[in-house]
Amino acid sequence: MFKLSEIKELIKLVDQSSLQELEIENEGSRLLIRKPNKTESVLVTSAPVQHAYAPAPVHAPVPHAVAAAAAEPHAEAVSKPVDASLHTITSPMVGTFYQSASPGAAPFVGVGSKVGDKTVVCIVEAMKLMNEIEAEIKGEIVEILVDNGQLVEYGQPLFLVKPE
Amino acid sequence: MTFHKILVANRGEIAVRIIRACRELGIYSVAVYSEADRDALHVRLADEAYCIGPTASKDSYLSFTNLMSVATLTECDAVHPGYGFLAENADFAEICESCNIAFIGPSPDAISRMGDKSVAKQTMKEAHVPIIPGSDGLVESVEDAMSIARDIGYPVIIKATAGGGGKGIRIADNEEMLVQQITTAQQEAQNAFGNSGVYLEKYLTGMKHVEIQIIADKHGNVVHLGERDCSVQRRRQKLVEEAPCPILTPEIRQAMGQAAVRAAQAVNYSGAGTLEFLLAPDGQFYFMEMNTRIQVEHPVTEMITGVDIIKEMIRVAEGHPLSFAQDDVQINGWAIECRVNAEDPNRNFMPSAGQIKFYLPPGGFGVRVDSAAYQGYTIPPHYDSMVAKLIVWGKDRADAIARTKRALSEFAVEGVFTTIPFHLKLLEHKVFISGHHDIKFLEEHDVNNPDS
Repeated sequence: MFKLSEIKELIKLVDQSSLQELEIENEGSRLLIRKPNKTESVLVTSAPVQHAYAPAPVHAPVPHAVAAAAAEPHAEAVSKPVDASLHTITSPMVGTFYQSASPGAAPFVGVGSKVGDKTVVCIVEAMKLMNEIEAEIKGEIVEILVDNGQLVEYGQPLFLVKPE
Repeated sequence: MTFHKILVANRGEIAVRIIRACRELGIYSVAVYSEADRDALHVRLADEAYCIGPTASKDSYLSFTNLMSVATLTECDAVHPGYGFLAENADFAEICESCNIAFIGPSPDAISRMGDKSVAKQTMKEAHVPIIPGSDGLVESVEDAMSIARDIGYPVIIKATAGGGGKGIRIADNEEMLVQQITTAQQEAQNAFGNSGVYLEKYLTGMKHVEIQIIADKHGNVVHLGERDCSVQRRRQKLVEEAPCPILTPEIRQAMGQAAVRAAQAVNYSGAGTLEFLLAPDGQFYFMEMNTRIQVEHPVTEMITGVDIIKEMIRVAEGHPLSFAQDDVQINGWAIECRVNAEDPNRNFMPSAGQIKFYLPPGGFGVRVDSAAYQGYTIPPHYDSMVAKLIVWGKDRADAIARTKRALSEFAVEGVFTTIPFHLKLLEHKVFISGHHDIKFLEEHDVNNPDS
């Protein structure tokens, strides 16, 4: 397990260097640090995910759009009539929804993508920790219900899936 | 500095209370709710609201991650924890601090020092606040307990150090019972609070539960707002509270108030807090515990002092000095609060969750209702059973009692059982009317018989 002090040190080093990306694997833990581009925050992925309420040195500014979008999610989700045969993937926690592993990278899934139980469909970031959300169903993505960078609450519908 | 936005980390009537204070101060409020509370009033009243988990409190209202997630993502400056839940959780207060979010309450250190009940007693002893005779710290062994009990005299009370709010308490009338109860008490404490530490106290009888409200700022000012008499209790849970206490003299009030201020100063307290005492018929008072949060019954103090305690808590957390000094505090009139719970008083107060089909709260001069209920609202069975707090002001005790009876008789709640009939009977009971009722009043008298 990487210590917080080690992670902080590595972030500093990567930041100061011309490295774009650094990946380290050590005793079953994987640490991936990628340099941000202009608008997105620095993503630090560290497995296994744990409850680290660490005062993260990387305090990415929350885009103001998130706050505005956040005021509406409940109303939006409820107003759409959902086809009863479709399965909804909901958020298991409160956080920020990201459609890809890093800014600029290809999204995990799109409309039409086939998913299995363990297919990662998105990331929900909470307190600087990235949580990969798995589909937990076999089928095809029919609709993506939230925007990249949007604040999502517990139970918020994220994807509609046509089950196999 | 002024807060821009506050996260209300609670539910029910206290969440509504805090949102109202925020609105009056021009501060945005963020409500959080579990799936079971989707239709709750606090969700509708707040400026923003987010679902933070499933029904179970441990995964929603007690979820540090989800709460801090919402607080940081919605750019809250502060969190108000209300009462219960995480209000007296030093870890939560610390996490707020480390995320640069103000915790509207005292420091994590003050919370820990007062949260551990036997440590709190020791702190009070050193601050020359009278404490109940008992063990010096935790009980080491059964032999230790037996020797302490022999010194202080039976009956004795066994209390869990990590308990509080009336939980984790057992009485032993003699040595045989003590031996039996001590190990059980330790096991229960371990299971309920994760800490098996217990301490002993002399079990005093004929005592009233009298507590002092204090409020302190971060500039060293501590003021007390007088007392509340909370002796009407059932299974150690308060049902009716009043301010002032009917048997307190100005001299004892001053002595208790000063003791409470010393106690708060001893732990560098800031924010609202309550010192709970036991008051003997001879006027001697003893420290019981300190609650480092806002209390359910705070409105009775607000009614007789004119101080909005919730707004003052917010202002103190923003860094402002208290808006008044001790000399400015005047007690005016009398206030009584009845906790109206969704329980059937004729079936041993069995909880009565369900939909409120008709709801009409009372009104008029001197009548205040703090509630999250509304017509059509379904009270969930998962949390507390509170429907509303009815708080009444009168120019003196008799006036307040009469007005409370009038207000209760107008209070219409249909669809669930409530304790309104119980309160109406209580206000007719001669012992309650005398003002000399002690904490065993409900145990020893029959509320259905006003002369018992």
